[in-house]
Amino acid sequence: MKARRIEKVILYDEGVAETLNIPEVAEYVRGKLGEAEVELRGNPFALYPDRISDYARKLASIKIHDVSSKMVPERNPLYGEIQYEKRRITGETRSFGVLYDGLYLQSIFSELIPDDERSIGFVHIFLTNRLFATWDDNDKRYHSRVGVYGVCSAISTTGLVEAPAKPREYYLLKQRYEMLGREPSELNDRFKGRFIDYDDERLTEVMKGYVMQAVFYTLIGTPFCEDKGCRLYNAHWQEELLFAQLESEYEFCQRHSDFLVKEVISENR
Amino acid sequence: MEKFSPVGEKEVTRAIVAEFAKQFEDYVESDCIIIGAGPSGLMAGRNLAKTGKKVLIVERNNYIGGGFWIGGYLMNKVTVRHPAERILDELGVPYKKVTDGLFAADGPHACSKLIASACDSGVKFANMTVFEDLVLKEGGRVCGAVINWTPVSALPREITCVDPVAIESAIVIDATGHDAQVVKKLEERGLIKTKGFGAMWVEKSEDLVIEHTGEVHPGLIVTGMAVSTTYGLPRMGPTFGAMLLSGEVAAKVALEKLG
Repeated sequence: MKARRIEKVILYDEGVAETLNIPEVAEYVRGKLGEAEVELRGNPFALYPDRISDYARKLASIKIHDVSSKMVPERNPLYGEIQYEKRRITGETRSFGVLYDGLYLQSIFSELIPDDERSIGFVHIFLTNRLFATWDDNDKRYHSRVGVYGVCSAISTTGLVEAPAKPREYYLLKQRYEMLGREPSELNDRFKGRFIDYDDERLTEVMKGYVMQAVFYTLIGTPFCEDKGCRLYNAHWQEELLFAQLESEYEFCQRHSDFLVKEVISENR
Repeated sequence: MEKFSPVGEKEVTRAIVAEFAKQFEDYVESDCIIIGAGPSGLMAGRNLAKTGKKVLIVERNNYIGGGFWIGGYLMNKVTVRHPAERILDELGVPYKKVTDGLFAADGPHACSKLIASACDSGVKFANMTVFEDLVLKEGGRVCGAVINWTPVSALPREITCVDPVAIESAIVIDATGHDAQVVKKLEERGLIKTKGFGAMWVEKSEDLVIEHTGEVHPGLIVTGMAVSTTYGLPRMGPTFGAMLLSGEVAAKVALEKLG
């Protein structure tokens, strides 16, 4: 493997969970990349104040309403949907719960990258609390994701909670609670610690690994590792996520660890 | 024992007819017609009427209150999540804290207090009345509702060929729950396309209902569960906070429009 040289990593704050400490994530990435420049940027839409309506319409048009049906962007989103997206863009609300098509969302984010930063050495990572999913042709349904990686990457704090599956018993009990009219959030105490929850204090530590997945995508073209103890492991279960990001004895597997030291840090120093 | 006044049957009947006719004639034109007397419709009506607006709530059932009498699975304890306990405080409904951010009250107590508060504020009701269609005027603006008696619509058409009547208002609010009947009438005319409602995601659905409560078409505001159907939002669990707060937002939006 030969690494691409990274000029700059840019982390955008597109309305993340309040407990996420983005400066701490940035500092971590800086340390891993041999003092490569890591810049924090706030709301990416703020760069284009005269195009807010346009972007609001685009975001309103890429919502998934049925996870078993592949969406096509809506030509005429409702007025109320556009107004909601405007409030999200301008930071008037941070509420979430809408499910977006991840690839279309990534495409909208990529439009926000300034022209002079569209070269290969730049890593643009959009941190958001929007939940997104990608279509899987094998089982013909959408699956929610923590991240979509590419020329620009999007990583979702909501995805960290919702995408990797919680313990099986949680879902069985949740179903029973809902049938009985009991509030399912009561289960969060019962399963406390066994999955990442909203406003979880472990969110920042977990996010460091996912940001590194986006960085690795730029470096070598693939974000994931098959080693379950490596931070690049693509966790499908919460317990796998917790192990890879918090409990494993090592941060990165030997191969990726050596790669960071030999190829990336030496290159960037 | 104190004796009842010597009033005959005909006086009782005249009183009913006269009072009903007077109110009905008065409310043929109002500031706001709300379709649906569930928690969101009642809250919207209560808050609008409090500011002096003339509000008529149309309800297809004889009883007012919609699903607010019962919490879920026929059990009459209703729950709200923070911050909606503020409304229970306003209404004077006793409640208890179940867990952090979750509160429970007696359904009959909460529902009757809300109905009483709406009545005290000046809301008038047309119960046993079904919404049949919208009145649309210049530019497709919603300007009223076409209504009929519920029993008429419940009987076979061959024996009940009874035309409906129309009532007018500056604003109409759709508070018909999952059916979103008013919005669906617009959809039948190709003026809007609803999204249906999504999978249940209780934790987030309430926030989104509040966020999307508002004018969906000129002259038409959507509130409560009708918001979910209109925008395809996640389905909600058996909890009522969003209904109450959505009604509050609907009233605020209506007031802005009414000036």
